[in-house]
Amino acid sequence: MKSVARIPNKELAIFFIVTVAIFCSLSPSFRTGENFENILVGFSHMGVLAVGQAFPILLGGIDLSVGSIVALAGMVGFDGFLIFGLPGAIVIPVMLATSVVAGIFNGVLITGARLQPFVATLATMAVYRGVTYAISGRQLFPELATRSIDDDLLLGLDNYVGHFPYAFFLLLIVAGLSQLLLAATRFGRDVYAVGGNREAARLAGIPIGRTTAICYAISGFCAGLAALILVSRMTTSQENLGIGIELSAIAAAIVGGASLQGGTGNAIGPVIGAFLLGVILIGLNLVGITTYAQPVLTGLILLGAVYYDRVLLGRRRLRLGKSQ
Amino acid sequence: MLAERRRVWLVWHPRAALHASTALPAVLLVLGALFAILKPVFLSQENLISIVHQVAIIGIMAFGMTFVVMTGGIDLSIGPVLAVAGVLAAEVLDKTADSVALATAAAIALSGAIGLVNGVLVARLKLPPIVVTLATLSIVRGGALLMAGPDLHLIRGPRAFLFIGSGTVAGLPFSVLLFLVGAAFFTFLQYRTRFGLSVTAVGDNERAAHLSGLTVARVKTIAYILCSCCAGLAGLIQSSQVHTATATYGMGIELDVIAAVVLGGTSLAGGSGAIPLTIAGVMLIGIIDNGLGLLNVPIEMQLIAKGSIIIGALAITNRDLVLEH
Amino acid sequence: MTGEILLRGTGLTKKYGGAFALADADLTIRAGEVRALVGANGAGKSTLIKILTGAVRPDAGEIEIRGNRIEPGSPARMIEAGVACIYQHANLVPAMTVLDNIFLGRQPTHALGLVNAREQRAQAERLLGGYEIDLPLDTVVGDLPTVKQKEVEIAKALSLDAKVLLMDEPTAWLSLHEVKNLFRTIESLKERRVAILYISHVLDEIYEVAQDVTILRDGRVVAACPVGHIDRPELLRRLVGEKLAREVATHSAGDVNESRRGEACLVCEGLTRAGVFHEVSFALHAGEILCITGLVGSKRTELVRAIFGADRLDSGRMMLNGRAFAPKNPRDAIERGVAFVPEDRHHDGLMLQMSVEDNLVMAMLASVSRHGVLQRRKKAAHTMQQISRLGIKPASPRYRVGKLSGGNQQKVLIGKWLQRGTRVLILDEPTVGIDVGAKSEIYSILKSLKQEGAAILIVSSDIEEVMAIADRVMVMRAGKVHGIYDTVRLTEPELISYIGGE
Repeated sequence: MKSVARIPNKELAIFFIVTVAIFCSLSPSFRTGENFENILVGFSHMGVLAVGQAFPILLGGIDLSVGSIVALAGMVGFDGFLIFGLPGAIVIPVMLATSVVAGIFNGVLITGARLQPFVATLATMAVYRGVTYAISGRQLFPELATRSIDDDLLLGLDNYVGHFPYAFFLLLIVAGLSQLLLAATRFGRDVYAVGGNREAARLAGIPIGRTTAICYAISGFCAGLAALILVSRMTTSQENLGIGIELSAIAAAIVGGASLQGGTGNAIGPVIGAFLLGVILIGLNLVGITTYAQPVLTGLILLGAVYYDRVLLGRRRLRLGKSQ
Repeated sequence: MLAERRRVWLVWHPRAALHASTALPAVLLVLGALFAILKPVFLSQENLISIVHQVAIIGIMAFGMTFVVMTGGIDLSIGPVLAVAGVLAAEVLDKTADSVALATAAAIALSGAIGLVNGVLVARLKLPPIVVTLATLSIVRGGALLMAGPDLHLIRGPRAFLFIGSGTVAGLPFSVLLFLVGAAFFTFLQYRTRFGLSVTAVGDNERAAHLSGLTVARVKTIAYILCSCCAGLAGLIQSSQVHTATATYGMGIELDVIAAVVLGGTSLAGGSGAIPLTIAGVMLIGIIDNGLGLLNVPIEMQLIAKGSIIIGALAITNRDLVLEH
Repeated sequence: MTGEILLRGTGLTKKYGGAFALADADLTIRAGEVRALVGANGAGKSTLIKILTGAVRPDAGEIEIRGNRIEPGSPARMIEAGVACIYQHANLVPAMTVLDNIFLGRQPTHALGLVNAREQRAQAERLLGGYEIDLPLDTVVGDLPTVKQKEVEIAKALSLDAKVLLMDEPTAWLSLHEVKNLFRTIESLKERRVAILYISHVLDEIYEVAQDVTILRDGRVVAACPVGHIDRPELLRRLVGEKLAREVATHSAGDVNESRRGEACLVCEGLTRAGVFHEVSFALHAGEILCITGLVGSKRTELVRAIFGADRLDSGRMMLNGRAFAPKNPRDAIERGVAFVPEDRHHDGLMLQMSVEDNLVMAMLASVSRHGVLQRRKKAAHTMQQISRLGIKPASPRYRVGKLSGGNQQKVLIGKWLQRGTRVLILDEPTVGIDVGAKSEIYSILKSLKQEGAAILIVSSDIEEVMAIADRVMVMRAGKVHGIYDTVRLTEPELISYIGGE
């Protein structure tokens, strides 16, 4: 069946495969299992963030606060494990709950106080970062700063099946469920409707406030999962965790076909987008191009993606006819 | 003078006049009074000058940003532009035996060129501004790193260059003077020139502006160039103030600048906006930073307070706007 | 024939600021009845509709549906109670399929909230089959032609199993043929005991389709009776008040078509835009009004936009005052003295947040500024001149255009082109959505401009309007010129037959 949530990432997937093929032929050290493992480890959390970011973007919004939510959830974990000595079975749900609450608060500011998403999440980006500093166990108990977390459940996340890290499977589950949510549920249709034509959605009785809050909650939840992945790998957390990560996540989602206009995109594209950025960054490094050229290339890829989307596909722009 | 200006706002921007122009000064006064009561030194001349001194860099960038936001755009790339301008100036000073004129000209020219690229991509190719400037943010940051590496570059002389950031004229820091001149210039630009009226018109209704014979793409492109040049100037001030330049200056500064502009009642959806209110927004951020600093509020609480005050101020100024729709 | 009362509103009142948008309005609609709702712009029609759809909460008054009191102010509750609205502007999600749009916000689901796609399709097919509407369910709505989008809108309302259907100017964007189809659908809805509130500016339609009529003026119900009890002059009188009705009547009498045609001003030869319009040739003379009319979809708007340089031409050439004229953009056209008043005032015409003064000088910034600096005295002088000449009310240059009435907005839009050097004035549907009083003022303005020697080109679908103001009329059909006629030697039925093209 045809639906807006269908997966139109054929071009992106081809581009991704071609890029991988090029790097494989250019660099022997790129085509090793170890390197693929590095890419999967290094960018699975980015994929999760990008999938989460797709929800606000589908609504025509944006979530700039995810980097701060990652830090906040990470610090909650740090405090829970190291200050209170709680087990993972308690701390992990609390971390995720914190990030969901932060996401819902974003949604409330946007629908309740009617702030523009960009502004609301810009402000909460500062607030959540501030809260992270305020609750930082590193500051309260400096002796804990060098201690690492040794909870079995948490560390269990930093494991592998062959070359595949658990984090990658987590990403697959998140992306799969998100795609199911978007493509096959009424909530998904509501998201596309709100993003595609807000007024039509309102008049159709779609609960816009609730839909918005849920989308930002999902974005927050994904930030919590990303924090979980990062903390399990580092076995600690820091106040400056995830600074600037929101821009990469947004870039990955856009490269993955989510349009900032809202109403078009899916949950699979952002995953490919995240790994495309990862492959290029790591590939360039292995080919011997200086690290400083990488942001330049990331920027050019982003421009290329949006140019492709707007100029080449935009010819067939969808619109509601009015006059003749 | 104040009455005159108020009248101008009411004439040109009825919506902004109704909301930000009444609510924002009120918030400013209340906060100012609060800090003055808690810390009388807040009202001292030195402290007041130091507030402006602190916000001069953000303020100058906010002027250019106001026009960009009014045209329905946004410029996220100003942080790296600030950095690259400083780095280039340092480089030129180094290579040309301290030619200040050449260094400043090169820095401003490069900034303007980056603005031109942003403007062309947004206005001619009609790509979404957030994505375009997010991309140029990345590209310019990378370019600055390629040019200068991650190290600090010391700027020792010449005195004329250091004057930009550290000199004083009649007791006023030169950067404060630049801020005041910028404020006057941009206010004039907005209200008394064809370009200013065109910016408002393009932001209000782009299609109608096009059908009225305005050159929409050119107006937008100039707005991006101005914004980028402001960032370049800010970069010069910063580098000359701290006697160093590095490719990593200005990380995240775009968000402070945008916050100041939005506090000033400029809608991210384009259209309404007013330079005088942007100044008020900038001052609000300056007063919050300064007051909380004087009160020895720890940095994390400052972050929380700043975010909350921004949310609160916007929630108040947005209210009437919501009722209208 | 009178059925049970399905919807009853009593004492509905809504104030904006200090002014009553709707004051103590009563309304009843019965099953199987079409009630027309008419009123000039600003009479309170849209407020009433918004209250009935739940988009606006009234300050006072009650709504009962089938005898049950409904708490107003919630779209979801009104939909649940069986009230659906077909809006003038399409309220669809362009990126979604027809199927998803029909069931927007209420797709049938399995457990767990999964959409039951098979059930959804079956329901849609049953629905469309029942009303004989032919729609491609899997096509994305944004790819459909406008008339099909309207059908999607209707199908959407019908799928709600609506008992009360509000139709807000449903024929505004439809061709004559489509209007007939719509009326057939309305008949079949009546047979199914649906109650319909039919809002329209077109009096013909009201007499054709409605049994009862409610007339609003200044937020009050001034009449509510069967259509048969009120003839046209009386209805018009109730609608606009005594004085204006007389003026409108004189304008429609067609006393003003004396032609004082001057030289050919704009000559178009073989204008073609592939797939849109073909080989359009005509000459527009100074001191005449030439109307272009035709069915929706006959590409009149596209033609005038291309003449103005807003869209591209593939071939053909134009001469303006004897010199070649090939505008690449509106700016070129404006510099040569061509002006364009677009149909959609809000989207294409006005800066709604800006003042009357700023809007009036928008197309002549060069002449009110020197070295890029605005000359405030010149600007103010031009503004005052236009305000008094056009009778813009309130006569305040500082007033925000968005707060003006539709008629006054249209005057501002015309006034912005009344500068030295404007030779050709093109207007696209200049009186759509404007109340009868403002209409007659606009006609007077256009006629006085004509007498001053302007060449005026008007796109209009309103045959009465064409007959009243045009010196000549050019009929377009499917992108081609069908013929150009002098209105003096033309009757309304003839014109209709040319347009319809039997």
